[in-house]
Amino acid sequence: MAHFAKINENNEVLQVLTVNNSDVVNSEGVETESVGQQYLETHNNWPANLWIQTSYNTFKNQHSNGGTAFRGNCAAVGYLWDSVNQIFIAPKPYSSWVKDIATATWKSPIGDAPVLTEQQKAETLAQTHHWIYLWNESNQSWDLTNTLA
Amino acid sequence: MKKKVLSEQSLFSGQVSMPKGFEINLEKLSKNILDSLITKSDFKISKNWDMLNTYIIENINLKYGLRLENKKMWGNVYRPKERTHTLLEANLFDLKNSPDYTLLYGVDVENCFIKISYDDNRFKGEGYEIELKNNMFIIFPSTNTYTISNEQTENLNLIHTIVYNEYK
Repeated sequence: MAHFAKINENNEVLQVLTVNNSDVVNSEGVETESVGQQYLETHNNWPANLWIQTSYNTFKNQHSNGGTAFRGNCAAVGYLWDSVNQIFIAPKPYSSWVKDIATATWKSPIGDAPVLTEQQKAETLAQTHHWIYLWNESNQSWDLTNTLA
Repeated sequence: MKKKVLSEQSLFSGQVSMPKGFEINLEKLSKNILDSLITKSDFKISKNWDMLNTYIIENINLKYGLRLENKKMWGNVYRPKERTHTLLEANLFDLKNSPDYTLLYGVDVENCFIKISYDDNRFKGEGYEIELKNNMFIIFPSTNTYTISNEQTENLNLIHTIVYNEYK
C-alpha cells in the first residue's frame, strides 16, 4: 500500500489516502509518485501536484522499522507540507519555536524540556502527582506543572 | 475564575475555494437540481456534488475539528419574491435520528437571504440574516429554524442543501 496526503494550496494536509501499489507503478513496474498522483487526480477530482506521497512508518525523521525515513513524518490532517525541505511537519505550536529539519519537529528557543527527576517520575507513576513541563511562551521558559493540582 | 462553554451554536460560512481547473461546475449542479425536481426523484450524486461535499467535510475538519458525514441532500428552487415559511431540518420528535448540521450552498442565486433563528438565553427567537451568494456555503445547527428569501423579481434562485451528522 502507498499513502498520499491531499494538500490544499496553503500546503495544509486535508486528508491521507491509501492507494494500491498496483496504482502507483509505472509501465516498468517501478513505484513512481507521479503515477499515483495522476491516479488520484483522475479518481478524486483534485490536482495531481496537490497529492504528496508520505510514509506511514516515518516519525520525527526516523523509520520505525529501521528503513529509510521519508519526508520527515507521516502526514496527518492539519500537518503542513514543507516543499522546500520536503518534509511533513505538525503545525507550529508557539510563535517563538523554530523548525528543526533534521528531526522534522519544532524546537523551543531554549531547547527541549528538562528531564523529570527520579522523585517526580515516581510521584507521577504513583499518580499522586502528574508532573510535566509546559512551555510558557510569555516567559520563554519550561514551567514544571502538576496537572493533578 | 473559570469559564466552561456548555453549548455552542455556530454558523460557518465562506466561499468554496477549489484549485484552478477543478472548480465546481455550477451549471451542471443546477441541471442536477432541476432534473431531480422535474422527475420528482432523489438528487443523484454527481462529480460536482462530490467535490462540494468533500470540500466541506475536509475543510471544516481541518479548520474547526468538526467531523461531518453527509446524511441526506436535495436541491430546491425559489421563485422571485418568494419567502419560505419557517424551515427546520431536525425532527423535534425524533432528535436521535435527526441531522446535526444543515448546509445551504448557493448554486445559482441573486439577492438571496437566509435568516437563522436562535435563542440567546432569555432572549428567544433572535435572528441572524446573511446573504447567500453563488459558490458560497452556510452551515448551522439543524435544530435552528431558518427562512430563505429570494428578494429579486426576475430569476429563480437555486440552492443545494446537505444535512450532516457529526461523529465524535
